[in-house]
Amino acid sequence: MLRKDINELLTQTGPGSPMGELFRQYWIPALLAEELPENDCPPVRVKLLSERMVAFRDSEGRYGLIDEFCAHRGASLWFGRNEGSGLRCPYHGWKYDVSGQCVEVPSEADNSSFCQNVQLTSYPLVKIGDLLWTYMGDRATQPPLPEFEWIHVPAEQTYTSKRWQQCNWLQAFEGGIDSSHVTFLHSGGLKTDPLFKGAKGNEYNMNDTKPFFEVADSDGGLFVGARRNAEEGTYYWRITPWVMPAFTMVPPRGDHPVHGHFWVPIDDENCWTYSFDYHPVRALTDTERQAMIDGHGVHSKNIPGTYRPMANMDNDYLIDRAAQKRGETYSGVAGIAMQDASLQESMGPIVDRSKERLVPADSGIIKARQKLRKAAIALRDEGVTPPGVDPEHHRVRSAAVVLPRAESFLDSCRDAVRVTPGVPQSSV
Amino acid sequence: MTTATRQLSESARAASASESRYRIDVPIAPARAARVIALDERAAAVARHLAERPWAHARFFTADRPFGPEGRLRRLAGGGAAGGRPGAGGSEPPSESGAMAPGEMPAAPPGWVAAAPPDTVPDVPLDEALTGSDVVVVLATEDGGRDVAAAIGRFCGRRGITTAGVVLGDGFEADDAVAALRPYARVLLLSADESDAFELLTALRV
Repeated sequence: MLRKDINELLTQTGPGSPMGELFRQYWIPALLAEELPENDCPPVRVKLLSERMVAFRDSEGRYGLIDEFCAHRGASLWFGRNEGSGLRCPYHGWKYDVSGQCVEVPSEADNSSFCQNVQLTSYPLVKIGDLLWTYMGDRATQPPLPEFEWIHVPAEQTYTSKRWQQCNWLQAFEGGIDSSHVTFLHSGGLKTDPLFKGAKGNEYNMNDTKPFFEVADSDGGLFVGARRNAEEGTYYWRITPWVMPAFTMVPPRGDHPVHGHFWVPIDDENCWTYSFDYHPVRALTDTERQAMIDGHGVHSKNIPGTYRPMANMDNDYLIDRAAQKRGETYSGVAGIAMQDASLQESMGPIVDRSKERLVPADSGIIKARQKLRKAAIALRDEGVTPPGVDPEHHRVRSAAVVLPRAESFLDSCRDAVRVTPGVPQSSV
Repeated sequence: MTTATRQLSESARAASASESRYRIDVPIAPARAARVIALDERAAAVARHLAERPWAHARFFTADRPFGPEGRLRRLAGGGAAGGRPGAGGSEPPSESGAMAPGEMPAAPPGWVAAAPPDTVPDVPLDEALTGSDVVVVLATEDGGRDVAAAIGRFCGRRGITTAGVVLGDGFEADDAVAALRPYARVLLLSADESDAFELLTALRV
């Protein structure tokens, strides 16, 4: 349960809002690199944190993320001509470089300096891994670039997809630290999904439907440990790291690639879900990569040419009640990603958390909300840099381990939850 | 001029902001009969502070030391139901808190009894203190309370009472208490502070 004003604080990310300013302390994914595949390719509309922009890649391969609208008459630069190291508005020919600086106003005299005084808002756009990252905050406090492991392993070891989710970022993100739903909602996938099935850990998951949780602070956010019974005298632990504001990793299964998410607010009623799979020490197999492209695991099968899932609210998520009855899926919706999204979107664009009835097993969510609120207020009132900005905080991993019952997951897994290049993930 | 009407799917229509107006809106009564038990002195200070807040059903206790087979709990003044008046006495939650503010808490249930003055509430056996509860939140800062933790855990395990442990401070001094609670506590909040306990109780609507 959250008071309405606190719910608004956590869910509103537009300019000037406390949570919006918090998000603007971090590098966040802006789009996939594949969306700007070559120099002078068509520009792409990008809306992040309730700001409308266009991204483009100029003739020299430089990336730009600038205000969507021409300073002249407000026409959308999505219609622009990407040519000659700049984006030209097709209405009257005003041209901008990747920094948003106007470099040509054709109606002015040849030697006019007018354009030097025209500058569109712009943000840095940097390719790391398969993504283009941006920082939308004060340039004076721009942090070093992100160091999440999944974007720094060789290209053949990683895959990232994205999908449009039609709800506020917080209710999508909260699913990422809610380990207890897996046994129910995703139970079909544990048995059949090519990126999940076959792991010993799945048996523990299915044999013990009432996990116990331990929630501990980390430098960048939280570790949420979910514990289930394993063999006599042991527990099976699944450890989920959360790095503020919106990065989580799913604990691994067997030698399958490790997956996770980064949720980015588009506006207050929509978000992008970036989903990744990577393996710390080996290339993804062709079969694995194809499974990801086909929408298995945490990925979705999208409508070609878009990042909207084929199963979406406009077609009732292609719900198959017969498959539900046969036990192939728990909810009738196919695929891990859309099983989550269908329920999160069903809550409405921004769920009213004053109506919730939480239980102790929701403590990870309760704690995460508290940390977000405290960080947003500390930033607003005292200028405190929030956890998760420091790239050192990004060097975490999820883990799945079997431990003697007396052992603490925190003590036993200190190495397992840290990135060690060349060392495989801890998995069962 | 005619306008084509787009037929929304049932899911799209149901998930729209406009449809959220039609959700059934009734007050949510406090759902849980909580017992909050401090295992050691520093935890007791936190429990006393929490007990001053406006709870509906939560009752607060400290434990005898040492805690033998006949171990008893001392009821703290404050809390809700038979132990305190919702909205009474306590300091208000911090203004930035995500918890319900005073006055927003649901009304006290029928049968509510006024608070007993401090230090006049008699000690009660563990089973009497926990009878009727459906969630027990244990507060610990160090290992001295491990016997109590184990006893509470065993009792709650037998009675099907959900148990949560809140380990205050850095947790290094409470390893044994955590180990004693681990088999029984549905959730352990490690390296927590008073606000974590407050947020947990608030979220549980106790």
